[in-house]
Amino acid sequence: MIKVEHLYKSFDGVPVLKDINVEYEAGKCNMIIGASGSGKTVLLKNLIGLIEPDSGEICYGDRKLSGMSYKEKTELRCHIGILFQGSALFDFATVLENVMFPMEFFTDWSAAYRKERAQYFLEKVNVTGSDNKYPNELSGGMQKRVGIARAIALNPSYLFCDEPNSGLDPYTSILIDRLISDLTKEFNMTTVVNTHDMNSILEIGDKIGFISKGSMLWQGDRHTILQTDCTELRDFVCANTLARNIIEGHR
Amino acid sequence: MLKKIFESIGKYFLFLKMVFRKPEKWRLFWRQFVNESDKLILSSILIVGVISLFIGGVLVIQTASNLENPVIDKMYVGYMVRESLILEFCSTMIALILAGKMGSNIASEIGSMRITEQIDAMDMMGVNSAGFLVLPKVAAATVLSPLLMLLSLVLGLIGGWFVVETTQIIQTASYITGIKFCYNGYYIFYSCFKMSIFCFMISSIAAFNGFYAKGGSLGVGRSSTRSIVATSILILLFDLILTQLMLY
Repeated sequence: MIKVEHLYKSFDGVPVLKDINVEYEAGKCNMIIGASGSGKTVLLKNLIGLIEPDSGEICYGDRKLSGMSYKEKTELRCHIGILFQGSALFDFATVLENVMFPMEFFTDWSAAYRKERAQYFLEKVNVTGSDNKYPNELSGGMQKRVGIARAIALNPSYLFCDEPNSGLDPYTSILIDRLISDLTKEFNMTTVVNTHDMNSILEIGDKIGFISKGSMLWQGDRHTILQTDCTELRDFVCANTLARNIIEGHR
Repeated sequence: MLKKIFESIGKYFLFLKMVFRKPEKWRLFWRQFVNESDKLILSSILIVGVISLFIGGVLVIQTASNLENPVIDKMYVGYMVRESLILEFCSTMIALILAGKMGSNIASEIGSMRITEQIDAMDMMGVNSAGFLVLPKVAAATVLSPLLMLLSLVLGLIGGWFVVETTQIIQTASYITGIKFCYNGYYIFYSCFKMSIFCFMISSIAAFNGFYAKGGSLGVGRSSTRSIVATSILILLFDLILTQLMLY
């Protein structure tokens, strides 16, 4: 579980996050949603420690992120998997080497076992026969899948995904969403997904937090989001035709 | 302006502190070291070789044309070409060329990794990205660059010999006598040492600029240009300092 309490962050005096309070549970797809520029990515970067908050606490279980030493943070990061918006696969490594990368650094497993395990996770995300290809030889969807395989290669307790289906076609987006959801449940990970894609939200949003202008205005799940009274959220949701039609159908 | 320069210098030394942290896995470090040696040193052999051959030839013609006095022995052409190559060309001039070739390669590679979040991904895995990416480059460039200097010297002398042979501007025997005349081994050490220092600066400054690149592809271009300009100036400055310290 990840707990965020009274989190504030500003850049050059401009507040970007204001009093964020939220809890992310294990085995669930927790989503951070909001329009572009609302502060989603800043919140995610605070959660993974890429940005230091101005004030407030982020707790992994009962351990406070702010009080951790460099060594403790490094140790924690071995339990965190991240899927970046652009996949962030290493250009210098093949698909297989990308997935094996964290294992090479943090385990003493034999080369044969690392390879076997990497291939197992590549199969899990339906990427087979591309072991020796380089990232630039893969499609966007394939890169995301390899990114997911790399993120979960060490069986992390926490998985963070930054806009996992940006730039993907609707079909591939749904496949990636389901993959994230299935893996979250299978490995009982605490998954946090940062997105503004309504299809993803309605498909896998077990817990949803809506951010607008740096404030967390609403929390709920995919079943309650369409009945919300929050005006900003309703505007955000109704920007999607499908969701608008569903809401109007309800009414 | 001055504040910004001092801030950058401070940031550079903090960056070096990260770079010189003990590698997490020595096996991975040595693998990267071999890769970087190939990418930075072996791939520079062609350009260094071609330039050295031509410069050696040009130096012979220029020196010979300035030593037309019959009182001065022609073997001094070979001697002066050798001294010019060892003392200045093979280290400083080659380093300036490498500042462009090696520096832009390192800055753009690391800069692209920064803007495509590959460095963030490494940091988030708990990997010391600066150490993993930069230390093998700096080590390969610093340790192996004297070999490029020696290669440049040999090829420069061969280039000179080729011009002597084909144009008969002086006698080949005089040229050979000249390049063997008054040999001082310390000059070779001095030149190799300078080359190591210059290549350390080229690799570390380029990596520093790439590591903190921001602003998309334009930012990568800017970091590359900045590193070439900075290292070129610093090479000339340190050339002066090292020469004063080591030769006077």
